[in-house]
Amino acid sequence: MSENKVEMSAEIVQNANVQPQQNNPLSRKLNKILETRLDNDKEMLEALKALSVFFTENSLRTRRNLRGDIERRSLSINEEFARIFKDVKEELESVNEDVHAMSTCCEEMTSRLKAAKEQTQDLIVKTNKLQGENHRLEVRAQVAQAFLTKFQLSGQEMAALRGARDSPITEEFFRALTRVKQIHEDVKVLLRTNQQTAGLEIMEQMAVLQETSYEQLYRWAQNECRGLTQESCDISPVLSQAMEALQDRPVLYKYTLDEFGTARRAAVVRGFIDALTRGGPGGTPRPIEMHSHDPMRYVGDMLAWLHQATASEKEHLDALLKQVTVRGVEENMQEVVGHITEGVCRPLKVRIEQVIVAEPGAVLLYKVSNLLKFYHHTISAIIGTSVATLLITIEDMNVLSKKMFFNSLSLHASRLMDKVELPPPDLGPTSSLTQTLALLREVLASHDSSVVPLDARQADFAQVLSCILDPLLQLCTVSASNLGTADMATYMVNSLYVMKTTLALFEFTDKRLEMLEFQIEAHLDTLINEQASFVLIRAGLSYIYSCVQQHSTQQGPLSTLPGMDTSSLKAAMVQFDLPPPPLVFYDCDYSVDQSTDGSVSSTVSPAFQTAWYPNGGVLKIGAVQHSYFGTLPNFCLWIRQYKGTDPHRTEPHHSVERRHYRVFQC
Amino acid sequence: MATAPYNYSYIFKYIIIGDMGVGKSCLLHQFTEKKFMADCPHTIGVEFGTRIMEVSGQKIKLQIWDTAGQERFRAVTRSYYRGAAGALMVYDITRRSTYNHLSSWLTDARNLTNPNTVIILIGNKADLEAQRDVTYDEAKQFAEENGLLFLEASAKTGENVEDAFLEAAKKIYQNIQDGSLDLNAAESGVQHKPSAPQGGRLTSEPTPQREGCGC
Ligand SMILES: Nc1nc2c(ncn2[C@@H]2O[C@H](COP(=O)(O)OP(=O)(O)OP(=O)(O)O)[C@@H](O)[C@H]2O)c(=O)[nH]1
Ligand SMILES: [Mg+2]
Repeated sequence: MSENKVEMSAEIVQNANVQPQQNNPLSRKLNKILETRLDNDKEMLEALKALSVFFTENSLRTRRNLRGDIERRSLSINEEFARIFKDVKEELESVNEDVHAMSTCCEEMTSRLKAAKEQTQDLIVKTNKLQGENHRLEVRAQVAQAFLTKFQLSGQEMAALRGARDSPITEEFFRALTRVKQIHEDVKVLLRTNQQTAGLEIMEQMAVLQETSYEQLYRWAQNECRGLTQESCDISPVLSQAMEALQDRPVLYKYTLDEFGTARRAAVVRGFIDALTRGGPGGTPRPIEMHSHDPMRYVGDMLAWLHQATASEKEHLDALLKQVTVRGVEENMQEVVGHITEGVCRPLKVRIEQVIVAEPGAVLLYKVSNLLKFYHHTISAIIGTSVATLLITIEDMNVLSKKMFFNSLSLHASRLMDKVELPPPDLGPTSSLTQTLALLREVLASHDSSVVPLDARQADFAQVLSCILDPLLQLCTVSASNLGTADMATYMVNSLYVMKTTLALFEFTDKRLEMLEFQIEAHLDTLINEQASFVLIRAGLSYIYSCVQQHSTQQGPLSTLPGMDTSSLKAAMVQFDLPPPPLVFYDCDYSVDQSTDGSVSSTVSPAFQTAWYPNGGVLKIGAVQHSYFGTLPNFCLWIRQYKGTDPHRTEPHHSVERRHYRVFQC
Repeated sequence: MATAPYNYSYIFKYIIIGDMGVGKSCLLHQFTEKKFMADCPHTIGVEFGTRIMEVSGQKIKLQIWDTAGQERFRAVTRSYYRGAAGALMVYDITRRSTYNHLSSWLTDARNLTNPNTVIILIGNKADLEAQRDVTYDEAKQFAEENGLLFLEASAKTGENVEDAFLEAAKKIYQNIQDGSLDLNAAESGVQHKPSAPQGGRLTSEPTPQREGCGC
């Protein structure tokens, strides 16, 4: 700083020299000094400050020495600086040395590291390789584990299967078995890959496991079933499940069902025999056999018992096989129920046969047959229409009782024919006819109230009717054979009419009724003709009648014929109008029943009326109407012309002796 | 041996009797299916239904035989009384004639069942109050005189239907408990569940008196 000042003053001097002409140098110097801004010149300020430290005494001497002082000071400062700097330099040298050392050290380390690296290179490669290997192995382990869980049983499952040998079958067993099945199924996938050996092995293993498990299950189920020999039989859910599982092994399934069937069969037989011979507690209900004297009750109780037993057994089977899905379960069930109920067939058959063979009479036989038919129907609703021995037995018994029934009827009929009764004097039905019709009525009535459905009822109706009616008709004809024509016809009409009224009370008899009606008509015709000729002969009109009938126009007028003149005819008509002598008319009751419109018609037989009043009177009866168009009308019309009167208006005043036989005697 | 769980402990056999059209089949249907069959055809012979119900903590299977009321089936239906543990005797509260016939039904029931058979009288169609033809009190008195349980029920609304079957079952169960019903006798109408499925020896069955509650 002091040097600066020196230079500066020199410069000022120079400036004053170089530019003398420029103003006054002094003034310039002055100006400059004046312009100098000491405040802003930091160096100057510092210099002055430093100066103020040691320049304390402003005297000439001090001013003269100032320069030296400053230089001395400067020297000592520099010396000081140099001394201190020397230290720094030494320090730096030491640092430098250290750095060098470090550098060497580092180099050494680097080379050592390099060496180490070279040495471990191999190891690292190896490690990497191993790590890769490890990873691969882990993946494989996972795969293997997955494989095992998929294709092998767990210990627990294995235990469940194995344990079945000496402990009861449980849910777990079925779960394990399902797993075995699943694995066996799944393992087929392996056969399509290159894991065929494993696949085959597992498959075989599972197959073996399955077989032993099924066999154990079968043993267990068989044992369970074997125990079901009591009347009550509750199928445990596990047993149902066992059947569901066993359906995969048809043979075992069938054997188990057989076992079940055999056990139940024994139970049902025992129950049946107990019901027959022991009855309920303390003897009520009484043993069924106590009622063996009452065939209907006896047979009915046995069949009702069997019906109930069959329904219960079907329920048991439903419970046993409710989870089985294989096709044909329904048939299986029917088969087994058939087997179960087979045992009771013999005792049942023996007893019903006894009843039938004891010949309890036609009506009872018929009722028993109907009862059997009813139960055949009822029981087959439960066990289906399969060929169950029980149904066959019932049907056989039905056939037998039906056969015995018809035998009994035929026997009855042949007895009738053996000893033909003569018609009674009143020409009404014979007592054997009434008795036989009473039997028929009883049979038909029992049929009517029978529990057999309608269509089944109709079936053997025709046979019953022909079995009774045909011989009866024959009987009537035979017994009438010795009678005169009018008596015969009357007797037949009377007999046929009782048959008709008997049949009319029942269904399915229309055809027979029609036939009887037809026969009655035929006999009525005969009767009418008989009556007509009787009246004509009695009145002496038969000659006139035949003349009229045979007359032809070539013969000229009727009145020219001999015996046909007006006076003869008039005489004859007087005869005709006269009260006739007592006539025998057989009133076959038609008029009484049907023409209720007047006192006249109600007392006169149709045959008589037709003869007497061809054009009017009571012509409401079909049978009579028929003859209206026969031979009589022509004649009567002709007579009317002659008489000039309408006989229809004339009150008949003939006293008619009538032998009135009422058909409705019952 | 196997202690497999069973579905029920006893089977009780019931019959339902009464005139035609009183609603026997409807009661059974309501009980087993919980539905009302408005146009139910006449029963032909007998029909059959089952249901398992809980009675005094025991599961009991009811096996119910619904008989035809029509006279022509009387001979057949009589065979179903034997071995019934319970009988539901039904009349129709709107038809006095069905009530008047009760004594005939009761005679049949008494003659053809066990002395222990529990008979419950049921006045059905209780929903038809407006057409009532038989009072509650009258029927109640009839029931008391004859030692019958009694309820009015409706197969249509289901009212008291469950109870009718239950009350009878309770009574039967009570008879078993106090030993008045001998289960070892055939056709008692009650069957005990097999205690040892393997045994198969009927006679080896222990007397069930004390066994009732052990399950
Ligand atoms: N309002 C009403 N109607 C009922 C009730 N129960 C039954 N019915 C009707 O009564 C009629 C006869 O009922 P069923 O159950 O067939 O009578 P049933 O006693 O079985 O008759 P059968 O089989 O001939 O002996 C049916 O039309 C039912 O709809 C009831 O509780 N209320
Ligand atoms: Mg009914």
